[in-house]
Amino acid sequence: MGKVKIKRKSTLIDMTAMSDVTVLLLTFFMLTSTFLQKEPATVITPSSVSEVKVPTANLVTILVSGAGVVDGKRDASVEGKIFISVAGDVDSTFSSENVREAVLIEAVTNYNKLHKNNQIELTNAQVKAFSKLNMFGLKFSELPKFLEMEVAEQDEVMKHLDNPIVGIPIDDNRDMNKPNEFQIWMRAIYNVAEANKDLGNEAFASALRRSGEGIAVKADKDTPYSTIHNVLDNLQTLKLNKFSLMTALKTEQD
Amino acid sequence: MAQIEQSDKGGKGKKGGQKKMAIHVDFTPMVDMNMLLITFFMLCTTMIKSQTLQIALPSNEKVEEAQQNKTKQSEAITLILDTERDADGNVMMDLETGKPKHTVYYYEGKPVVDDENKDGIIDNPNIKVEKFIGNSNTGETFGIRNILHNRNKQVLEKINVQKEKWRNKELTDEEYQTLAKDIRNDSTLVRPVVIIKAGPNASYESLISALDEMQINQISRYQIDNINGVDSALIFAYKTLNGIK
Repeated sequence: MGKVKIKRKSTLIDMTAMSDVTVLLLTFFMLTSTFLQKEPATVITPSSVSEVKVPTANLVTILVSGAGVVDGKRDASVEGKIFISVAGDVDSTFSSENVREAVLIEAVTNYNKLHKNNQIELTNAQVKAFSKLNMFGLKFSELPKFLEMEVAEQDEVMKHLDNPIVGIPIDDNRDMNKPNEFQIWMRAIYNVAEANKDLGNEAFASALRRSGEGIAVKADKDTPYSTIHNVLDNLQTLKLNKFSLMTALKTEQD
Repeated sequence: MAQIEQSDKGGKGKKGGQKKMAIHVDFTPMVDMNMLLITFFMLCTTMIKSQTLQIALPSNEKVEEAQQNKTKQSEAITLILDTERDADGNVMMDLETGKPKHTVYYYEGKPVVDDENKDGIIDNPNIKVEKFIGNSNTGETFGIRNILHNRNKQVLEKINVQKEKWRNKELTDEEYQTLAKDIRNDSTLVRPVVIIKAGPNASYESLISALDEMQINQISRYQIDNINGVDSALIFAYKTLNGIK
């Protein structure tokens, strides 16, 4: 009897096909997805049938934080904090960084005009640091200290929504001679957009003024209307009457 | 990693014949790396792009009485939104449907505010209550959608004719949109004017739902307004008369 020879088979698997598939998947993800933006508060937007997409450029997003949950109970103290995010044009002259710098300088100048006693001074490095922030929401008086911090420290501060310095102060003021801080910011953004129009970029100004695409209000679905109304009313006072409300697409058929 | 295998035949074949080489490149590390990249993209990015609903609010400035646009009483319908909340302020859920408890109070024309027995409660408030329910699969409408649907029937019927054509590819997207817009703004048709008022407790979601109904029912004239004393009194009267706390 002859010995049965066991053939030695190589265990190598051809990974080329697998590699092809993964590269395809990767390409798909890279092309279709957008990066998550860092936002201090997570909100679940309500759903609607509207299919108008949020523009990516020339957009001011006003985020209104929803209520938090502490020990299973609703915590209304963190509700209604305001954060603003400014996205500039694709054009590098009017990029987000440049627009944000201009907005900060404009807003601080206005603030100093109104508050002669507690003026704020910003260094160039602080202005640069501000232009890197995707979303900001802080009292003016805290800005210089905040902009000196490392990114990780800034995130730590913004994480605590119950901290009174977090969130742009807002009230139901209708007197534009004594604007509140939210109104100073929005007015500054508007002025910068108008200034950019003179420099040759009309897109931002027209998005803000005419079409209503330029301002998006993002709020949680459970937030009471009394809180939302405050923001809407401030926008009305600023004569920014046209704006959009951010929603998610309705999935079910109802 | 990469191997070049000599095939067996090479040795015994013709002298001087070219040796056949099979090249195997091991793609396993490449796959590993790609998988890592995919994981990264899946975790750090989002596919969903938010939608927006565009609205225009009136200016806050005082308008002279003479310049005000008055709405015809027969056309006006006022929706007052409210959301039920528990003691902590959480939105209450309807146990049957699993949806949040949003209520829509509505009245047509002017509010009726007679209080003949002087008890501080309006006697016969012309206010009714509906909910956001939507429609069934067969296209029947329920709740507040049904009310608005009936008020805007003429417009909806005309638009549905065009929609059918658009579905059958007789109209392009753009043509359909312009036609629909013209029909929505056609002043010869009976069209309602909807005034949306949200109570302080009403959630943002209910406001969006109300605005959504405007889109679904092709209503072109609607307005977000502030709730006033009369509206609160009406709701209070309705609740007292129906024994709702």
